[in-house]
This record gives sequence, C-alpha cells and structure tokens, in this order.
Amino acid sequence: MAQAVVTAGSSELAPDGHADHSHDTNTGVSNPKLAIWLFLSSEALFFGAFISTYFLYRGRDAQFLKGPTPDKLLNIPFTSVTSFVLLMSSLTMVLALAAIQRGDHRRLRIWLLATALFGATFIGGQLYEFTEFYRQGLHLGTNMFGTTFFVLTGLHGAHVTVGIVWLLLVWSRSMQGRLPSEKSEAVEIAGLYWHFVDIVWIFIFTAIYLIPTH
Amino acid sequence: MTEGTDLVTVSADESPVGAAGTAPEPLAGATPVVAPEHAHPGPRQYVLIAVVLVILTAVEVATSYLEGSVNANLLIVALGIMAAVKFFLVVAWYMHMKQDSHVFRRLFLTGLILASVVYGILLLFFSSTVLKS
Repeated sequence: MAQAVVTAGSSELAPDGHADHSHDTNTGVSNPKLAIWLFLSSEALFFGAFISTYFLYRGRDAQFLKGPTPDKLLNIPFTSVTSFVLLMSSLTMVLALAAIQRGDHRRLRIWLLATALFGATFIGGQLYEFTEFYRQGLHLGTNMFGTTFFVLTGLHGAHVTVGIVWLLLVWSRSMQGRLPSEKSEAVEIAGLYWHFVDIVWIFIFTAIYLIPTH
Repeated sequence: MTEGTDLVTVSADESPVGAAGTAPEPLAGATPVVAPEHAHPGPRQYVLIAVVLVILTAVEVATSYLEGSVNANLLIVALGIMAAVKFFLVVAWYMHMKQDSHVFRRLFLTGLILASVVYGILLLFFSSTVLKS
C-alpha cells in the first residue's frame, strides 16, 4: 500500500498538535469546535449589522437636535482603560488554555478567574458609563445616537456577561475535578467565544469612541 | 499545549478520516515531514502579542486626539488599519487560527467576508457619513 505523509497544513485534519487528530467525525475535526466556529461566523454577521447601523446614523445632526451628542458624552480615557482590561482578559484566557494543555490545573483556575474578573471589570465600567449617560439625559429613545449606542454596546455587554458565566462554569468544573487535561477542548471552546467578544469590542471601540464624529 | 512539531501519517489511498470514520493511525515506515508551522505559541509569545496589542491600542487612542489637525479621512483609514491588525493578531495567535484546521478558518472567513460584502454595500449605498466629504 502506497503511503504518503499528510501534514496537517495540507489536509483537513487539525494541525494543532493535540486533540483534533483523532476525531471520529465525518469532517475529521471536533464537532463542538466546528459548532463554535460556525456560531462565531454567524455572530460576525450579527454584530456587523449593528456596527453598520451605527455608522449609518452617526453624525446625522438632524437626529441630534434633542438630547446630548456623543462628543459631549464619550469619555475616551475611561473607555480606553476598560478596553485595555478586556484585551488583557484575552491574554489570561489563552494562558488558561496553555495551562490545562500542559496539565497545570492550579494555573488554569487562576487564569480562568482572572479572565472572569477582567470581564466583570469591563461590565462594571460599561454599567457606570450607561448610568452616567442616562443621568446626562441620553436614553434609548432620545436620539439616533442613543438608540444605536445602547443597542450595540448593550448587546456586546450581554455577550461578555454570557462569557463570564461560561468561564465560571468551566472554573467550577475544574474545581470539582471534572476537567482533566484530555478535556482541554472545553476551555478552548470557551476561549474562542471569549476572544471573539474581544475582537468585536476592538471594532466597536474604534467605531464609537475613536473615529471622529464631526 | 504541544510545543514543537507534530506529524500525521496516512496511506495514500485512504481518506484522512478513514473508510469507517476512524481517525488515521500513524503508519510505520512513513517518511516524516517536519511541519514547523504547526507549533503552538508558548506563554512568552502570548505575552509578546499582548504587549503589541496594548501598544497598538495606545497609538489608536493617541491618533484619535489628532482630530482637527489631520485629515479626517486619513484618521479613519489609520484607525481602521490598526483595528484590523489587532483583529488579525487575536484571531491568528490567541484563537490559533494559524495552527488550527483549515475547516475552521474557511468557516469563519465565510462569515466575515459575507458580513464585509453585505454591510459594505449597505454603507456604500445608504451612508455618506462614514468617510468625510
């Protein structure tokens, strides 16, 4: 029987050097990982719709006649700090994955908790910002900026909250000893979701806070 | 995490998954091929990527303060490029898209390209506010 060497880069097999080599599936890759990538792909369309809507209505002064305008509300230094915190949570997340893959469960739990804590800090910052905007007279229906801002950042915040709950569930499984190194894929899948939430924020932060309105 | 390289060997007349849906077993006598691109990054590289991300974010924020003194379109393009670089770094290194299966890459890129085309057309036709005239 003739033989050939198939490197992972040239086949549909996972080339990542661990779990994906031996998946007994039609595609040759892990079904849960396939599902999360498919979900993230659909999420790109989901968030794309809201980011586009924000761009469609931004800077349209006729709709800004009532209520405060973004240049009077947005606090770039404050949001830069919360964005930094969310970026750091991606680092701690990937360190958690690296920890379980080398069998270091103590560090896995530390990094998972750190990631959840960073996420909670980000959400705390977002709640503070929402409250502050509300006090200054910006509500969901005040003007087009209020509508597009609260819907876009609120949906992102909801995703981050789901991610925090997910991370705490994974942490809890690890604490109960139900997350051996062979099941590192559970951490990897939670991590993929978490990183996606982070990259969505990269674009939201640029679109809302950094790109000049006027 | 597996450091270094990994090899997968199958016979030429077998599908990678195998006729019975089983995963391929490494065969004795197969010529090993070193595929260095399969090595996963280590914690040090992850930290290095984080440093680059933080620097890029700082440059982004500093750039946004140039509003008024620099052409607005130039500012928007620069900010867009920096956001895209940050996106690429997270997806390629933290989400392991560089090392993971092509199936995932194609799946994710399909959604991204579809979103970019659909919403790009939408903005092109209905918005005059993205770029300054």
